[in-house]
Amino acid sequence: MNENDKIQILKDILFAEDSVYIEKIAHRIENLENTINDKQKFSSKVDPIILQQLEEFKTSIPITLGPTITATLKAEINKNKDEVVDALFPILGKMIKKYIAHEIKMLSEKINRQLSFQDKVKSWFGSSSRKQEIINELVESHIEQVLLIEKESGLLKASYSITETIDEEMISGMLTAIKHFVEDAFGKKNQNLELIDYELYHIHLQSFNDYYIAVILSGHYTTQAKDKVQNLIFDFFEKFTQTEGYRTLDTENINQQLALNFRHEHL
Amino acid sequence: MNISKKIVVLGHFGVGKTSLIRRFVENSFSNDYRVSIGVHILKKKVEVSVDETVSLIIWDLEGTDNIAAIRQSYLLGTHGVIYVFDVTRPITFQAIEEDLTALKSKVRNVPMKVVGNKLDMVVEEEVKKVLLENKISFDYLTSAKTGDKVNDLFEQLAKMLTLDAKQI
Repeated sequence: MNENDKIQILKDILFAEDSVYIEKIAHRIENLENTINDKQKFSSKVDPIILQQLEEFKTSIPITLGPTITATLKAEINKNKDEVVDALFPILGKMIKKYIAHEIKMLSEKINRQLSFQDKVKSWFGSSSRKQEIINELVESHIEQVLLIEKESGLLKASYSITETIDEEMISGMLTAIKHFVEDAFGKKNQNLELIDYELYHIHLQSFNDYYIAVILSGHYTTQAKDKVQNLIFDFFEKFTQTEGYRTLDTENINQQLALNFRHEHL
Repeated sequence: MNISKKIVVLGHFGVGKTSLIRRFVENSFSNDYRVSIGVHILKKKVEVSVDETVSLIIWDLEGTDNIAAIRQSYLLGTHGVIYVFDVTRPITFQAIEEDLTALKSKVRNVPMKVVGNKLDMVVEEEVKKVLLENKISFDYLTSAKTGDKVNDLFEQLAKMLTLDAKQI
């Protein structure tokens, strides 16, 4: 028996308990390895913990991250106020229009219900109604010119026109001066001049944050036509503000957008 | 390339603002508008270089003895200002410092030209002496009647506005 054998016997005597313990640890590590390497087993162990954490996260978000998110949103909105207003204006405008249209429809239905049968027959077959229809067709409104104008300076940003008129930049300046004058005269904040009538011509003005749109129309400007013009304006402005860098777009580009939006439109 | 700029011309009653502008501009609406709503819009294209023009949209505001009371909305979005006084009537330039201070508080950070008009009615050297004595600084002395320095005034302002636009 050499020196090494003796040491080995001594180790076996001294570390008998340890070797059992090591074996147990090795076995547990093997089990752990099996669990980790087997996706199903691993997921059965880990999933409940993650789900519980997620549940806790969901309930704690408003408390922990809420104030930070709110503060960030507030800061971003404040920083880009004009863009936010420009983006929201057409959407809100459409919502309000939809609501008003719905209310008017309800009112109209109510009136219809209250009309007598005789009234209805007269209205359907009466010659005066047909005459009115023909007159309305003859004097239906047409879009003559559309101007996109900077609200404060009155400078013309872009235009679309089917008829030759005097200088559009001067018209924009004059319209802005008139608009400022009327709005100042009544001293009401956040109220805008919306319509200018002269004989059979009408100028529909729709204000946004930095710009306003003036649509010059000829003919009989009915509520229905007004409704359609408003929709066209909101549609154009929504597309316009969604264009990358719309404030710095060149006039030619916006002129094309205006023409695409307003030409061939029957009111 | 063409850019458009808004400039406002203002000053006391009867200093010759409208005559000054008419010397420079041919294209305008009827002047009746100024009586109705206190402003008259005119336009003039100025060639500042071979390939660059500036459309000056000129807002001719009605004369007032109280510059501080000028309608704020007419000054919105202004790119340049021309303040006109009458060299023959000291009352139009005696309070010029207060007038300009009031104006600068309403229209910030835009080029402003101070102009003494009706030079044809006085001796230039004498006027300059009076203005110097009263510590009144000015950019131009003009005559709407003879056209003296009128084009220079508008053209220099147009050039300044082009430079401003490039810096933006």
